Formats: sequence, C-alpha cells, structure tokens
Amino acid sequence: MRLLHNYQYVAAMLLFCIGLYTVIVRRNIIKKLIGLNIMETAVFFFYISLGYLDGGIAPIRVGGADPSRMVNPIPQALILTGIVVAVSVTALALALVILLYRQYGTLDVDRLFRDEEVEPEAGTERGGTA
Amino acid sequence: MGTVLNLIFIVLMVATALLAVFARDLLAAVIIFSVYSLIMALMWQRLQAPDLALTEAAVGAGVTTVLFVVAIFKTRRREEE
Amino acid sequence: MKRIVSLLFMAALLGLLLYVVAYMPPMGDPENPTNSSDVTTRYLEKAEEETYTVNVITGIILNYRGYDTMGEVSVIFCALAAVLAVLGREKRGKIYAYADRSRVPSSVIVRTMVAFLVPFIILFSIYTILHGELSPGGGFQGGAIIGASMIIFTTIFGLFESSERIPQKLRSPLEGSAFITFFLVGVLGLVGGGNFLTYAWPNIATDLQPAVVLWLTILVEIGIGVGGAMVLISILFSMIREEEEIAIAP
Repeated sequence: MRLLHNYQYVAAMLLFCIGLYTVIVRRNIIKKLIGLNIMETAVFFFYISLGYLDGGIAPIRVGGADPSRMVNPIPQALILTGIVVAVSVTALALALVILLYRQYGTLDVDRLFRDEEVEPEAGTERGGTA
Repeated sequence: MGTVLNLIFIVLMVATALLAVFARDLLAAVIIFSVYSLIMALMWQRLQAPDLALTEAAVGAGVTTVLFVVAIFKTRRREEE
Repeated sequence: MKRIVSLLFMAALLGLLLYVVAYMPPMGDPENPTNSSDVTTRYLEKAEEETYTVNVITGIILNYRGYDTMGEVSVIFCALAAVLAVLGREKRGKIYAYADRSRVPSSVIVRTMVAFLVPFIILFSIYTILHGELSPGGGFQGGAIIGASMIIFTTIFGLFESSERIPQKLRSPLEGSAFITFFLVGVLGLVGGGNFLTYAWPNIATDLQPAVVLWLTILVEIGIGVGGAMVLISILFSMIREEEEIAIAP
C-alpha cells in the first residue's frame, strides 16, 4: 500500500483537515486564525516533502558535496516566499481583530453576524496578565 | 532510525495541533501553537531544508506567537460560549 | 447539527485527499517527475559558477527567481501599510502620560540578562544576513531575528524605551528599503546592458563580473534584512501602543 510509504503526505492532509475544521466550526476569530496558520504550514509541509530524495543532503555546496545527491531546491525557494506571505497575512488579520474588538466588543462570529453594538464593559477580563 | 524519528515528530505535530484547536483558554492555545511551530521547524531540518528551519523558527516562535499574545492582551482571553 | 455536518464534510474531504495521495509516486524516489526535471539539475550544477553563491537556495531566490522575491517584499510592505492604515502610528512630539502597560514586571535578574543578551542577538542576526550566500541564512531570516530581539526588549523594558532606541524618524524611511533596493539593483542591471535584474553586466570586463555579482547580491540581502526588520518592528509597535493620551507636552 503506497499510503504507508507516503506517510508524510498523509500527515500533511490530516493537518490540513484539522486546520479547515477549526476555520469552519470554531466561533472565536483568533481560533480561526490559528486554524488558518495550521492549514498554511500543512500545505508547506506537503510541498517540501514532494522534493525529498532518499538519503539526500541539503542543497549547500560546501566541502565537495555531490550535486546529484542533493534534495530539490526549487520547492524550498518557493516556500520561503510562502512563509513570509503567511506571517504578513497573520499580522494584518490580528490588527483587524484588534480594531473589530474595539468597535463591537465581541469576537464571537455568531454575535457579530447578528450585528449587535456592544461596548466593551469596564469590568471585562482583559488579557489576564497582571 | 530516520523513519522512527519522522513518525515521532508527525505524531507530536498532530497532537499539538489537536490540543491547540480544542483549548478553551486562548493564551494556552497560542502557546501550544508555538510548540507546533517549533516541531515543524525540526521537521524542516529532517527534510534537509536548513533555510526553512531557520525561517520557521524565527518567524513562528518569535513573531507570530508574540503578535497573537498582543492581540489576546487587547481583547478577551477566554473563548466565549 | 452544524458540528456533525462539518465533521462529515471533513471525513469526506480527508477520504478524497487520501485516495489521491495513495496514487502519487512514492516519496523520495529519484525518478519522481518533480526531482528528475532538467531545471533542477541545471540549478544544482550551475548555481555556484553562475551566481557565485555557495548556498543554492539563496542563488535561486535572489538571482534565478529574483522577481518572486521582489513580489514577496512588496507583499510584506503592503501588509505594513494596511496595518498602519488600520491602527495608526504614534504621533511625534506628544508625551504619553499613562502607565506603560506594555511592560511586564520583572526582577533585576531578568532585566540584566535581557540587556546583556540583546546586543549579541543583533550581532548574530547581522551575521545571518551577511552569510546568506555561504551558509543557511539570508536576508529575511536575519530581519526576523532582529524583530524577535526587539520584541523581547519591548516586553521587558516597555514601549517607551524601545521607541527611543529605534525612533520613528529612523524607521519610516527604512521600511520600504527592501523594495527600493531591489528596484535600484534592477535599474542598475538595465544600465549595465542586460535585462531588468541582471546581475552579470555585459558592459564591463569579464573578470570584473564575479565581484559585481557578489556585491549586488550582498546589497540586496542587506536591503531585505533591514526592510523586513523595520516592517516587523513597526507592526509590533503599532499593535502594542495604547490609544488614549492623557497629557500633551506644552
């Protein structure tokens, strides 16, 4: 069964589905953002393990490394850009979350869709760090 | 040996991802997510990608986690039900 | 109800994905369609003599696929612009007389250790930026490490102190430096007689070309590193700052 040999692809698909479940089912926006990050890293994991060679070495030519034994460098170059884009998306989404809380007082998606205007109360538990 | 280590990392990744999804306290979920990021960085090294391991370690544990913690600090800490 | 439907949908999607994975070529096989293409072999064999970098990945992202990296630095600059449009910067010239809530109360040991470690972390990040072509590393990795060190400093010492170390009049011009460096190097490629973003200029003598390629690569890496660091620090500062100001300096 080739599923047992490609166990890394199976793990990437499993993590992708866990992330997608979080984005769909969980109601808190920050939980959805954590799920989005899990989905992104699962896709990167799948992509890099496509370019893996059995017994390969890292693609850095020092000390007479043999180029025919190196793993594929092109997916790594593409995913490096992908990681930077992922952190930019996360930073922008968190800035929007802060603004959303300031405006509506809640981060629950069901209550936001019902369009209640709630001011954050003075005694709300904020953060929790002393 | 190599396969066993990969399997241990994969089991740890799936376990921390599940724990981060089902944690009620948002701060705990974010800390578990940073552990997931760390194990993903180790997994990049197992796939012979040292540039990606460095980037994922610096970005996942250094920048993304702290931005999440700042956002939680400015909003609520517990998930509403 | 919604949870059960979502779980069924997840199970169906997972089954479909596993079915597709079972028919893919085995992982790690050298005869994979991804691993045996001609582009890969050419990049691996000719990277050292055409890009003069030892790290093949840095050669690919800065030289062979430089357009993608230019797009990446424009994405991170757009994220900064959007965060500043949403949250705003601190205004210059006003004194915020509030209790600095961004500082975590800490003991003398923690403060001394952080003040001792932060210069070494910045030194390590400069090493990572400059050694991008000789070892694993590169521009963005060093920028993210500088960002992480400033985050530690801000957590222990407060937003005031770190705003004084890296003030806004230093950060504002340098945030776009990644894209400007890329554009400059590209235009210099046009001046040197090749296409946009050509590193090996055809107009100069052949034995000067390795030096020019190396210096342009280092310039682009420093630009990406400094730009990425300033972007991450600015995003952090505008997310941390409080929005009320109590006293205005006369």
